[in-house]
Amino acid sequence: MAVIGAFAYEEDFLAAAENLKASGFDNISLLSPLPLEEAQEVLGLGKSPVRRFSLAGAILGGICGFAMAAGTALVFILPTGGRTIITLPPFLVITYEMTILFGVLFTLLGFHFVSGLPAWRDKPYLPSANIDHFVVVVEGAAGEQVARAEAIIRDAGADEIRHVEEDQ
Amino acid sequence: MFDHGQPSYAEVNKDVLATMLETGPKYWILLGTTMGVAGICFFMPWFYQLIVGVGAAGMNRNAVWGTYLSNFIFWIGLSHSGTLLSAVLHITNSPWRKAIYRSAEAMTLFSLMTAALFVMVHVGRVWFVHWSFPIPNQMGLWPNFRSPLMFDVMAITTYLTASSIFIYMGSVPDFAAVRDASTGLRRRLYTIFSFGWRGTAREWHTLGWAYTFFAVFVVPLAVSVHSIVSWDFALSIVPGLHHTIFAPYFVCGAIYSGTAGIVTVMYCLRKFLHFEKYIGQVHLDSLGKLLIALSLIWSYINILELFSSWYGGTSFELEALKFRLIGFYAPLYWEMILFCAFVPLLMLSKKIRWSWNKMLVISILINIGMLTERFIIVATSQPRKFLPDAFGFYFPSWIEISITIGSFAIFATLFLIFIKWVPSISIYEVKETLKPLRRDA
Amino acid sequence: MSTFVEKLRSYRKPGYYDEFDYHWTMTIDLDRCTGCEACVVACQAENNLPIVGEERFAQSREIKWIRIERYWEGEYPNVKMGFIPMLCQQCDDAPCETACPVYATYHNQDGLNTQIYNRCIGTRTCAVYCPYEVRYFNWFTYTWDEPLEQQLNPDVSVREKGVMEKCTFCIQRIRIAKDNAKDDDERRVRDGEVVPACVQSCPTEAMVFGNSKDPGSKVSKMMKNPRGYKVLEELNTSPSIVYLTKAHS
Repeated sequence: MAVIGAFAYEEDFLAAAENLKASGFDNISLLSPLPLEEAQEVLGLGKSPVRRFSLAGAILGGICGFAMAAGTALVFILPTGGRTIITLPPFLVITYEMTILFGVLFTLLGFHFVSGLPAWRDKPYLPSANIDHFVVVVEGAAGEQVARAEAIIRDAGADEIRHVEEDQ
Repeated sequence: MFDHGQPSYAEVNKDVLATMLETGPKYWILLGTTMGVAGICFFMPWFYQLIVGVGAAGMNRNAVWGTYLSNFIFWIGLSHSGTLLSAVLHITNSPWRKAIYRSAEAMTLFSLMTAALFVMVHVGRVWFVHWSFPIPNQMGLWPNFRSPLMFDVMAITTYLTASSIFIYMGSVPDFAAVRDASTGLRRRLYTIFSFGWRGTAREWHTLGWAYTFFAVFVVPLAVSVHSIVSWDFALSIVPGLHHTIFAPYFVCGAIYSGTAGIVTVMYCLRKFLHFEKYIGQVHLDSLGKLLIALSLIWSYINILELFSSWYGGTSFELEALKFRLIGFYAPLYWEMILFCAFVPLLMLSKKIRWSWNKMLVISILINIGMLTERFIIVATSQPRKFLPDAFGFYFPSWIEISITIGSFAIFATLFLIFIKWVPSISIYEVKETLKPLRRDA
Repeated sequence: MSTFVEKLRSYRKPGYYDEFDYHWTMTIDLDRCTGCEACVVACQAENNLPIVGEERFAQSREIKWIRIERYWEGEYPNVKMGFIPMLCQQCDDAPCETACPVYATYHNQDGLNTQIYNRCIGTRTCAVYCPYEVRYFNWFTYTWDEPLEQQLNPDVSVREKGVMEKCTFCIQRIRIAKDNAKDDDERRVRDGEVVPACVQSCPTEAMVFGNSKDPGSKVSKMMKNPRGYKVLEELNTSPSIVYLTKAHS
């Protein structure tokens, strides 16, 4: 059972989120039409693990880039213009580009991994959360928890409260 | 930030989505026209050229590179402002970026695609162009990574990938807004496009971090892309091209023409999509100031290029310099100086900087100047290389001119398709610039 | 491990080859050149060069792997005319080779700058980078009217549109000579065994061709001539062709 509360004002929404958190509800989602740093602080989201993906991708890309340029030059040795076979300055340009390419691709991968998107199942959602409402979703509530969550949300001044059965 | 009062959150959604969901006959007429022009002016001559050979263009033995390549540089240059400017402004946290960055990035993407098309038009045997990609093949032969053209292949594919990801990831929350506002097939499509975005704090948090990293990667990438394009020229030993100044020269010129391009695109968006509420004087003013700064840097580098050619004093360089300054293409050269060095100085006056119509004219003049700049680089250097016996002349054929005109139609077509598929103003970032909703307000 | 390091070290050697197997070189004595263009015609016949026609010639799209450049010295009436036959200089440090993204041009073990037509995608970068302007592009697919196609050289491929081409030092003749030498007890190619079409046809014997690694060859002796110079030597392309300047009285 999920409890959904929609707020018209940011401050009410944040107050409800804090109260829920303080009352021991851990599985809450805070939906907002724009990024809110305060909401992220309530959930205690600090540095995102995405940055590790970026770093790993960039390092891997750099290594792969140089390995590709140098390796393919050795597979079929064709001297050009009196240059060495493993010529550093041009290969560093390739390394540079591949560093960025892999960095970007791994950051994308990191985004999908960390955010849990694409979402394969329907999750509790109100379309107004993407327009002008701030929505608190308490997931996995059972028994008296439902009533307690509902009370906190109502006290904070929610416009609309709903109960939704979750897909398992 | 807002010239006509602050809109509410719901109004932002409504205004921006209306440009996508409501399509009048005017749009279809315009789209049909640009597609027709692209087909007749670009693809038909290209098809003819594929049949008879590149000889259909005006290039010859003394100038084997022509308008195709100069247009390639122009389009790559135009692509430079969007993603680069958006990324720099994102990292430096400039609020005026938010209303204009989406369409600026789209400009990047589509001018890059147009530029890539010019490579296809340029090469002699386009049906073998995949040989320049590092794809394993039965010959066991790989491309030559020592070649500046390979740098180009790597840089442009990376840039195309990175800027597509950059614009797509920035649009995911807005795709969700489209999904919620639509029905039927469109709803199903945007459900997929938006990855099931709900706007939870965790999603925003991850997107914010990922987006900042994309921006951090894109800035050095964009600088490297145009440096590499300049090395196609500067790594040759051709007098007039073999300058160390070329990389900064090209990068500066690219951002310059790209920023002017943004002004032109902003004008059209504001006029035809009725974004007067969102794109205001502050944007025009900031872009105008940026243009003045860039034009001054551009002029400085140009003077320096002439100076170093003259100061070097070799007969080859002097001959190339003479051909550029007082040769057949001298009128074009001085036109470029007028449009790119002197006309932008008009923007020092606030009256001009604050007028949309005047800025439109200036921005178009700058881009005409930049188009000729690239043409001059290509057309005046090769016919004056080293051996006087091989001195020649290059003039574009009607096929090249037609394809040049057609490329603008291709760009316009892609842009017109874009405005119906992606919200051309970032909905959620405009909301960030609004005052937050308070109970007491 | 040590062989790996040795190998890597050898890859770091500029040009890779320790020394060329043969180093095909040409000397051209400008004092003997009369500008008769017999070499131009011989090259045309030997290498299946297309006849582009008057109109395309006027557009300066002719294909001549060797051309006679004409220069004037002095003021009228004391004018002197000089000729320089200009062909691919087979530079050891060729600017064109690094430019090609698909390895359509590279340096082979005989010190030749080769052009692989089948590999070329026609970016034309090599022609821009070449300071001697001796690379020629096939702007169209050229055909030979009957019965002219009967005189095409079967040893040389005919190029299609969109491909770059240039002087090969008649690599087909070098190939035949090397094959003959190999069949004949694997001996070295003798001096004078390989003669490119232009050298063969020169009535004044202004051109000499041979292996400059063989100190006894005619070309090695000619190269020691104090009149010798290389065209645009200051660009550091290390051309393989030595010109002998005109002796002034």
